[in-house]
Amino acid sequence: MKTFLTIFRKEFTDTVRDRRTLFIMVIFPLLLFPLLFGGITKLQVSQMKKVEEKILRVALINAAGAPGFEAMVSASRGMRITPPIVADSAQPFLQRDSLDAVIIVAADFRDKVESLNAGTMTVMFKSGDDYDIVKRRLHDLLRNYEKQLITSRFAKLKLDQTIVSAVHVEERDVASIKERVGKVLGGFIPYLFVIFCFMGSMYPAIDLAAGEKERGTIETLLTAPVSRFQILLGKFAVVVLAGILSAVISMIGLYTAVRQVKEMPQEMLTAVMGILDVQSILLTLSLLLPLTVFFAGFLLSLSMFAKSYKEAQSIISPLTIVVILPVAIGMVPGIGLTSTTALIPVLNVSLATKEIIAGTIEPGLLALVYISLIVLAALSLWMCTQWFNREETIFRGT
Amino acid sequence: MIVVEHLSKQFALSRQQRREMGAAFTGKTIDALQDVSFRCTPGRIFTLLGPNGAGKTTALRLIATMLKPSSGSVTVAGFDTLKNPVEVRKRVGFLTGNTGLYDRLTPNELVKYYADLHGLDQRTYSARREELFTVLGIHEFATRRIAKLSSGMKQKVSIARTIIHNPDIVVFDEATAALDVVASRSIIQFIRQCKGEGKTVVFSTHRMGEVSLLSDDLAIIHKGRLIYSGTYKEFTDQMKTSSVEDEFVRLVEAA
Repeated sequence: MKTFLTIFRKEFTDTVRDRRTLFIMVIFPLLLFPLLFGGITKLQVSQMKKVEEKILRVALINAAGAPGFEAMVSASRGMRITPPIVADSAQPFLQRDSLDAVIIVAADFRDKVESLNAGTMTVMFKSGDDYDIVKRRLHDLLRNYEKQLITSRFAKLKLDQTIVSAVHVEERDVASIKERVGKVLGGFIPYLFVIFCFMGSMYPAIDLAAGEKERGTIETLLTAPVSRFQILLGKFAVVVLAGILSAVISMIGLYTAVRQVKEMPQEMLTAVMGILDVQSILLTLSLLLPLTVFFAGFLLSLSMFAKSYKEAQSIISPLTIVVILPVAIGMVPGIGLTSTTALIPVLNVSLATKEIIAGTIEPGLLALVYISLIVLAALSLWMCTQWFNREETIFRGT
Repeated sequence: MIVVEHLSKQFALSRQQRREMGAAFTGKTIDALQDVSFRCTPGRIFTLLGPNGAGKTTALRLIATMLKPSSGSVTVAGFDTLKNPVEVRKRVGFLTGNTGLYDRLTPNELVKYYADLHGLDQRTYSARREELFTVLGIHEFATRRIAKLSSGMKQKVSIARTIIHNPDIVVFDEATAALDVVASRSIIQFIRQCKGEGKTVVFSTHRMGEVSLLSDDLAIIHKGRLIYSGTYKEFTDQMKTSSVEDEFVRLVEAA
């Protein structure tokens, strides 16, 4: 135990003094969410507000055909009618951004409406990256105009407008807000934790195995009177701790970020804070522990095989995609935790976390996830031990 | 005392390595050492001489228990390297040309780490550290990160790390290969000091100047086989050429 602690302490000191590891393990997960949520959400909200408040330059063609329409557009907030144009020039004007929209009233519009049919209005606009706000504002305008026409039709026919509705649908969602938000966010949160767990373990694993080979320190370490298993265990523990720390730090970053975003509706904020409760967090971490042990064994084995830090990096980095894939599958609607998916590594953690956050996890399935992860973690440690004892691996390239 | 008897070591080759060996090569392993025997005695410097790739490092790694023999045996201070590797490691200090230091630690931390791995108690460690740091002049940079030290300073730290547990046997694997003249000289002095203290010293090199400066006993190794073993004096007495270097080349070419 004393030897293990000696090795662990040294490896941990060495790891946290590595700027690259420190950045990936601490700085990146801590800053990512406040930047992502705070920065991007604020930017998005301000952009949307800008588009919402933008004065739309609208050209009307044959507006006289639609009684009261021109007056309605003029009276609408945030719209300005431009001097008339001919229909052929509408497209070039829109493409050059000289206009935001052109509304063409069909020649027979008045006749159709008067004969209780539907008249045609063509709305031309340029869709872009304005979250479709321009399109929605134009639709709102036209819907209001239509409502006006329908109201006058019913008045003329002396009918009550309610006769057109035969079924009144009343929706009652029995899912709690925690469940609803949990099912949505629950897919996203394990995605983050698993990725940070993997990335947090990645650099220490590369540095403590391939890095050690490259620096030539592995030789001197192997001449110390300790067993290879003790050396491996010390390194292993640091890689696992780095992965878990990274995930925990990302959780702190997420919590800080959520608290920072003032634009988030109170109801949503309460639900998100409810998701980040102690029980959910502890359960999620208990799933991440065996998963990180699996990652650590796997990453250390690959890193030990590599001749240099660079080679290890080129072998391990593409694996991030392999890890992302099952987590991404877990986000697909309809895929849930079953006795089969509970056995698929990474995907099981993703799905179980989703259920934990929503508060709908079944104890039997959770137990199955634990068993599968513990077996996998044990296998990974065993494989890594075998690998570390192979002379061909340790001295490959030296 | 080190006793090496009929020592052989084979390495398994990967598919790629087998391909690189050419079509004529049909085996799955390569012989790094074949039936090598020698003895290293306390208070004497045993030099292992050979061209690059001859098997010197393999032999020293087998002595230091980093590798396991395929056949034959190595006994270090009375302990078989295969049966009692931990006992052997307690008695061996291993120094390579690559300083083998952790750049992000300080000399203090590094030497303490190895002292802890060797199970030194605090009192023994403090006394030994004080002695070594004073003799080697490490005190002034003991708290600086190793990455910021000069190669000479690093070499001193490396020496302190190697002998913090006061080993009976010190193995130098091409310890001067990557060093400048000044740093090499400090290693040579250190080797002599070890001999003076009655330690068993094994030294591998391909530099002829160092052979004549240091050797009491000499073994020449080529393609994994021992082509000469005896005292250095015997070697120079029976030379058929005018210099140690020429004689070495003659023996290697004849083998």
